[in-house]
Amino acid sequence: MGTVEIRNVRKSYGSHAVMHGVSVTIPDGEFVALVGPSGCGKSTLLRMIAGLEDITDGEIAIEGRVVNDVAPKDRDIAMVFQNYALYPHMSVRENMGFALKLRGMPKAQIEERVQVAAQILNLQSLLERKPRALSGGQRQRVAMGRAIVRDPTVFLFDEPLSNLDAKLRVQVRSELKQLHQRLGTTTVYVTHDQIEAMTLADRIVVMNSGQVEQIGPPLDLYDRPANLFVAAFIGSPPMNFIEGQANADGTGLHLANGTSLPLPTGAKAPSGRAVTLGIRPEHLDVAQTGWPATVLVIEPTGSETQINAQLGDIPLRILIRGRTDIRPGDTIHLDAPAKHVHLFDTHTGRRIESQFPGD
Amino acid sequence: MSPATILLLVVLAYPIFYTLRISFAELNLGTFEADTWVGWDNYLAVVENDRFWNSLKVTGTYLILALPLQMVLGFGIAFLINANWKGRGVVRALFIIPMVVAPVVAGGVWRMLLDPLWGLVNYLLGFFGLEPLDWLGNPSLAMMTLVIIDTWRWTPFVTLIATAALLSLPRDVFEAAQIDGANWWRIFWSITLPLLLPIIAATFIVRWLGAVKMFDIALAATNGGPGQATNVINLFIYEEAFRSLKFAESAAMAMIILVLTMVLTGIFLVGSRKLEERQ
Repeated sequence: MGTVEIRNVRKSYGSHAVMHGVSVTIPDGEFVALVGPSGCGKSTLLRMIAGLEDITDGEIAIEGRVVNDVAPKDRDIAMVFQNYALYPHMSVRENMGFALKLRGMPKAQIEERVQVAAQILNLQSLLERKPRALSGGQRQRVAMGRAIVRDPTVFLFDEPLSNLDAKLRVQVRSELKQLHQRLGTTTVYVTHDQIEAMTLADRIVVMNSGQVEQIGPPLDLYDRPANLFVAAFIGSPPMNFIEGQANADGTGLHLANGTSLPLPTGAKAPSGRAVTLGIRPEHLDVAQTGWPATVLVIEPTGSETQINAQLGDIPLRILIRGRTDIRPGDTIHLDAPAKHVHLFDTHTGRRIESQFPGD
Repeated sequence: MSPATILLLVVLAYPIFYTLRISFAELNLGTFEADTWVGWDNYLAVVENDRFWNSLKVTGTYLILALPLQMVLGFGIAFLINANWKGRGVVRALFIIPMVVAPVVAGGVWRMLLDPLWGLVNYLLGFFGLEPLDWLGNPSLAMMTLVIIDTWRWTPFVTLIATAALLSLPRDVFEAAQIDGANWWRIFWSITLPLLLPIIAATFIVRWLGAVKMFDIALAATNGGPGQATNVINLFIYEEAFRSLKFAESAAMAMIILVLTMVLTGIFLVGSRKLEERQ
C-alpha cells in the first residue's frame, strides 16, 4: 500500500522559514501533482518525501511508517530528476539495473526486470548505449526505466518533462499517464506547468510561498478555485479579473476609475464589499448587449480565436470557438452566464460562495 | 600569426635544435660552436656511463614514490574538505602557500627543519622517544626526504584541481545513487571515482610533466647526495654540463630524456583519452 501522509510539515533554513505547515494525504495508487510558481516549495516538499532534504518540523509517513529519520535508500521510493541524473559512465542497462545490483539481486533476475522495463518504455535497442549517446527523450525514458525496475511503493517526479521540446513533452506526458494507468503506483509529480498537472493528475496540490492554496481534482480547481491565487494560476489563457466595490443591491460594481459596471444578469455580489470578479476567457460571450469593449488584438489558432480587448481601462481576454470577423478597433459587447462568474474577497483573496442561484 | 610563430621558433625550437646539434658534435668551449661531427659517440658515452643509469633509476624511484602519494593525498584531502564546513575557505587558502614558496627557499627551509642536530623535526621526534634521524645523510632517508618535500609542495596543487573537479560533479547523480540504495563507500567507488577518472588522469599527466623536471628542490635540499642517492637526472645533467663542462654529452643526455619523456607522456595521453571515451 503506497500511501503518503504529509502532516503539518515545515522547513526552515536557519531562521528563514520556507514551508509553513503543509498537510496532504495521498491514498494508494493516486497520481498527485504538486504545482506552483518557482520558489513555492513544491520541489522542496518532494525532496523531503525522498529524504534528500531534512524535515524541520512535522511528519512524513510512507505506508504508515514515519520516515523522518529514514535514509532515502530505505524509503522504497524511486525518483525521476529534472536533468535525469543518469550515471554517465554506465550503459542504459547498467543504469537501470544499478539499484537492483545494490540490493544483491541475482544477475538473471536483474536482466529479466530490465528487459521488462525496456519493453514497456521501448528501450530494447538502446540498452548498450551510454547516456551521452541518447537524445533528451530517450534519456528521460531511461530515467523512468530506472524508476520502474525497482517496483517502488512511490514514484517521485521532479519536473521530468521540462527539458523536452514542446512536441515531445506532449507525447511523453501521455506515455506517463498510460504508464500510471498500467502500473497503478502512487505518484507524486512536481511541475510548474499547470497544463501538465491538469492532464496528468488525479488530484492537484496548488502551492504558493510554502503553503497549500488548494487541493482537489483538476476540474474542481478549475470550476471552483478557492482563492484568487488558484483562480489566476489554473487555466490557460488565465482568468480575467475586475476589481471593484459592490453596490447596495449587489448587482453592479463601482470601479476604481469612478465608473460603474453592472454584473452579468443573475450574478449578485455581497453589498458594499470590496470584491474581485473573475471570468474565464472562454466564458465571456460576444453578444448583442453587455459590457462594451474595444478590440485590441485578434489571435487565431485555427480551432479557436483569442481576442484581447479593453473594457474602459481593464484588459480582458476572450476565447471563442472557431473563427471570427471581428477586427481590431471594433467595439463588441460581452456577456457571461451568471454560473460562470467567480467572486473573491479582494482583501483576503478568498472565494465568496453561493451568490448565484444557478451555480 | 607570424610574430607568434617566430617567437616560438626563437625561444623553443632554436634551443632544442642547438642541443640536438651539439649532442652529435664536439663543442668548442672557446666559441660555443659545434666543431666536429662525431656521430653517435656522445650517446655511446652516455649509455656506457653508470652514473647516468643511476640517475635515471633515482628519478624513477622518486617518480614512483612521489606521484601516487601526491595523487592519493591530493584527491583524498579534496574529498575531505569538499564537505561544507566553516573555515573551509581559510584552509583552502593555506593550502596554496607551499606552491607559491620559491622551490629553493622551500628546499632550504626543509633542510633546516630536518637538520640532524638542531632541526625541528628531530626535536619533535624526541618527544615520542624516537632516536634522531639523519634525514639528509642516510641514502634511503634522503630519498624519502626529497619525496616528502616535493609532496608538501605539490599536494595542494592536486587538491586544488581535485576540489574544483568534485564541485563540478552533478549533484543529482549522487542523489539518484543515494535513492538507489548506495552507501557512502559504494557512491565513492561506483560513482565519484569513475566520474573523476578523466580528471585524475589529466592531473597525473600535469604532475608527471612537472615531476620529471625535478631539479630545484633536490639542488637546495640534498644537492644530489649523499653520494648519488638523490641525484635526479636533471641535476646530474646540470652538473655534467656546468660543473664538468661536458656539454656535448649532457646535450646527448638531454635529448635522450626528451624523447623518453615524450614517449611516456604520449602513452599517458592516449590512456587518459581512452578513459574519457569510456564515458
